[in-house]
Amino acid sequence: MIALLFLYPIFYLILTSFKSPDQLYQPLAMPDSFYWGHYKKAIEKVNVLRGFFNTFAISAGAIGLMVFVSSMAGYVIARIPRKFFQFLFYFFISGMVIPLQTGMIPIFKMGVALHLIDTRTFMILLYAAGALPMATFMYAGFTKSVPREIEESAAIDGYGKFRAFWMIIFPLLLPATGTLIMLNIYGIWNDLFGPLLYLKNPAKMTLMAQVVQFKANTQSIDYGPIFALCVMATLPLIVLFFFTQKYMMKGLVAGAVKG
Amino acid sequence: MLKASTREWWTGFWFILPATALFVAFVYYPFASSVYYSFTEWDSIRPAKFIGWDNYAFLLEDSKMLQAAKNTILITLFGIVVQNPLSLLLAILLNRSFRTKVLLRVAFYLPVVVSLVVTSIVWGQILQYDGLLNHLLERIGLLAWERDWLGDTRSVFPTIIALTQWQGLGYCAVIYLAGLQAIPQDLYEAAKMDGAKAVNRFVHVTLPMLMPATTVVVFLTIVGGLKMFDIPYIMTGGGPGSASYTLTLAIYNAAFRENTYGYAIAGGIVLMIFIMAVTLLQLRVMRRKEVEM
Repeated sequence: MIALLFLYPIFYLILTSFKSPDQLYQPLAMPDSFYWGHYKKAIEKVNVLRGFFNTFAISAGAIGLMVFVSSMAGYVIARIPRKFFQFLFYFFISGMVIPLQTGMIPIFKMGVALHLIDTRTFMILLYAAGALPMATFMYAGFTKSVPREIEESAAIDGYGKFRAFWMIIFPLLLPATGTLIMLNIYGIWNDLFGPLLYLKNPAKMTLMAQVVQFKANTQSIDYGPIFALCVMATLPLIVLFFFTQKYMMKGLVAGAVKG
Repeated sequence: MLKASTREWWTGFWFILPATALFVAFVYYPFASSVYYSFTEWDSIRPAKFIGWDNYAFLLEDSKMLQAAKNTILITLFGIVVQNPLSLLLAILLNRSFRTKVLLRVAFYLPVVVSLVVTSIVWGQILQYDGLLNHLLERIGLLAWERDWLGDTRSVFPTIIALTQWQGLGYCAVIYLAGLQAIPQDLYEAAKMDGAKAVNRFVHVTLPMLMPATTVVVFLTIVGGLKMFDIPYIMTGGGPGSASYTLTLAIYNAAFRENTYGYAIAGGIVLMIFIMAVTLLQLRVMRRKEVEM
């Protein structure tokens, strides 16, 4: 029964997007046939494919960069007990409580100065930096469960430090990487605040920014196309979620226990 | 020997450098320069003028800002007092083994997967005057309850609070669920052998063992509540009046609507100090409880 309260709005979203225009104002009615008109209209007005590409590129880029820098950092923090690295660790962690809103204006200025404003690169750098503290924390935790002997034998085999890390240690940290992807992809894909501030160019907009923009432009009432656009913007994540939910719950368990 | 450890140090240095550079450039440096700008009058076009504590003093007299602060604190408090116990209850229910378990977990987690933008738009439409909720109320004969849920000064903020709780419940429940599943079963069996009743088992086994999960959930609730932006931004724009204003929305408006950047940043700094103080206090109190068990 309570589950219905959680499922219904999403069900309602999908349902409404298929209702014919004259049914739109009968919220309780079921659509009598699949009406694709709203989708057609939304696609005509908004370049959904472009938005999808931007969103995907930004999410993938940010998560890739985050994994690259934080896995190495977490490894060092867990393995080398020097004061300097421990200090950096707390330095990173303290970043978790700084709200984005605090730095948004200097970040905007920096983006303008570096000619990075309105670029996907800028968004990638920002999201990767934002997700870094948590990721470093998690990689440091996971590294501790990797036996040291593995590195020692890699050194004996003549592996350099970098090669040993990427060829041998990093694959062992895969569960952490998976969890981090799961934890971050929804936040980055769905984020509105970043694109709202730093991506004004319609050609670079993410799906969420497109939705909000479209809603603002359509003014009040034409909910059909807005809902259709919402469905299209959300569908990739829902599909991903259905395929990975089992794995994700496991990841959250691991994350919650290690964190 | 010394040489080996120096080499280790340099390896570590190169390993940690990219993360540090990224962090300093996009988190620490903007934050540090924000601290400076919070003491200036600045519209981002003309150079900033140093005005000391004026921005901070003005924050305390700005009725919109104070309303926003009150709303933000209320959202956070509700998260801790209402959403937390509810999500624990939900997690316990979900932890029982019945057949629909997986389906239910998916259902409760969906609001987390679907973006706040989309859920805000859907709920916005459901809560409209001629929307689904009022139609339903009419159907079951509660005509008197009908209202413009988001347009009415009295109902708008409770509605927003309810929605924030709806949105966060699933996530908290999943973390509690993780915590529940990490409790070794033999603890319960031992308690049963000692003749502990279900209530006692819950109080003396489940709750203490869940303390780490509780710490995480409360932490996330506080941080999420204090940063609340998307729901009021999309659904009400903070209105009517400033009835559903939140701090981040007020700061956003001060910066990008009114071009009072220095003032907006001062608001951000206060919010940050607030979050830090509250979370530090929380972690301190709760970690101590964790040790006691």
